[in-house]
Amino acid sequence: MKQEPQKVITKKGERFIIPIGPQHPALKEPGHFEFAVDGETVTDATVRLGYVHRGIEKGVESRNWVQNLYMLERICGICSHTHAMTYCLGVEKLAAVEVPERAQVIRLIMAELERIHSHMLWLGVAAHEAGFDTLFMYTWRDRETVMDLLELLSGNRVNYSANLLGGVKFDISPEQADKIRQGLAFLAERNTHYLDVVMNDMLLLGRIRGVGVMTREQAEKLGAIGPTARASGVARDVRLDAPYGAYRTFKPKLILETAGDLEARFIVRLREIADSCRLINEALDNLPSGDLTVRMPRRIKEGETISRVEAPRGEAFYFIKSNGSDIPERIKVRTPTICNMGSVLALAKGHQLADMPMILVGIDPCFSCNDRMITLRRSDGEAETWSWGQLREYGIKAYQR
Amino acid sequence: MSAQELLASARALLDTFISEHNTPEEDRLDVWIAATNLPHAVRALHNAGWGYLSAVTGLDLGPEAGQMEALYHFCNGPAVLTLRVRLGRATPSVPTLCSIIPSAGFFERELSEMFGITVEGAPNTDHLYLPDDWPDGVYPLRKDFDPASLQISG
Repeated sequence: MKQEPQKVITKKGERFIIPIGPQHPALKEPGHFEFAVDGETVTDATVRLGYVHRGIEKGVESRNWVQNLYMLERICGICSHTHAMTYCLGVEKLAAVEVPERAQVIRLIMAELERIHSHMLWLGVAAHEAGFDTLFMYTWRDRETVMDLLELLSGNRVNYSANLLGGVKFDISPEQADKIRQGLAFLAERNTHYLDVVMNDMLLLGRIRGVGVMTREQAEKLGAIGPTARASGVARDVRLDAPYGAYRTFKPKLILETAGDLEARFIVRLREIADSCRLINEALDNLPSGDLTVRMPRRIKEGETISRVEAPRGEAFYFIKSNGSDIPERIKVRTPTICNMGSVLALAKGHQLADMPMILVGIDPCFSCNDRMITLRRSDGEAETWSWGQLREYGIKAYQR
Repeated sequence: MSAQELLASARALLDTFISEHNTPEEDRLDVWIAATNLPHAVRALHNAGWGYLSAVTGLDLGPEAGQMEALYHFCNGPAVLTLRVRLGRATPSVPTLCSIIPSAGFFERELSEMFGITVEGAPNTDHLYLPDDWPDGVYPLRKDFDPASLQISG
């Protein structure tokens, strides 16, 4: 619902600032946003991060290469495998170690299962923010299928700990492979249904079609990555652009949409779930035989490397520098959300306050279950406090006519 | 285009700015440029549509070396081009890229608060990750910063 800013009679220099966060039930990493509004229309937006800054980049400089695998895997609970894999790929490159093929394919299978669970998690949250709780409940029920598969393979639902420097920790047996195939068949069927709902449910379309439009030029200018960029027609996917590990053999499809609105972001993620199912099946059918690990040196050769992996939210980027010892000199981690955050701030302008939850959710920032407070503050000092739930209700009511 | 061809085109674009270069891996090119040339080099890449700014890394080479580096990583398909700027550790400073690449602001704020590298002309110099009451002049990713020195109150 894009509107031209209305003329509102205000005193010179007076602005309504609506602070949101840092605590709220949706974002896992708390963030603090301030939206300046003119009537209902957002005219400016800023963000403040760091509420869960844990100093991991400093921490890795006093731990050895093996300890850091466990540390870095815990950067993100949703894409833990991505972080561990990005780190391992980089360190293995520095050590000039070739990981056995079977281990590479198992890494790919874990990465794609993780993408499915992450996208389904997002679908549920996005449906909830739109006030469509039936879709939320169904997607999260179905998401348990992929969570069970991850647990079946690794014993864990969250930090799967699949990676080792030089390979993977566990194998996939033929029985497990059959269970994965069955689970994926169910998920692929459900996914077709969700795609139908998203593209045809008029109530949901009212919240997502034509909302938060980002053109291809904007996406490129704002540095958007991952599904957020691909929904605006930017052909960018690290798995295809700079194939790593088993992605050299098993190719994902490039999923592109051109509309650039929230609907396109739904469609891209849903079609990516379907493609991940296809890719996992292909990998299971062609699982090479052989070892799972190769021996890694304790000290890593001096040098610098860059490791890039397509996380569920876009490119994860690691810069790794070794000084030849068993402790890294420097590891720089750049996660995808920071790249897409710029698009939220830019897209907010000109939209209604009621659209903010959906625009923020549209980039799929990391989510959790804390309560989120909103303080409505006026320049004369009057304050009114809203919970995130109230803003969500407000957003939903604004669309009930 | 292959990574090598892409990197060759980047090298041609930046030819006048490059003081040194290195190819650490076959899909990467590192070029050293002067801090004053940074916006010009980035504008040349930007005008030619060469890749996107993927990350900015700060490197502290330690108090003995007395130097720091700011690394600007540009990705284009399989290729990664890194613009490296050497800085003195006493008063490190780089010009902002925000007028060319608005999203660089986040990376610059991080570089500035973690390493104490001044970003000249930056539109927003607030903390991005560190708390508002973080002590002035303390930069946690510098090599001589000891996390144990942080007093935990309360």
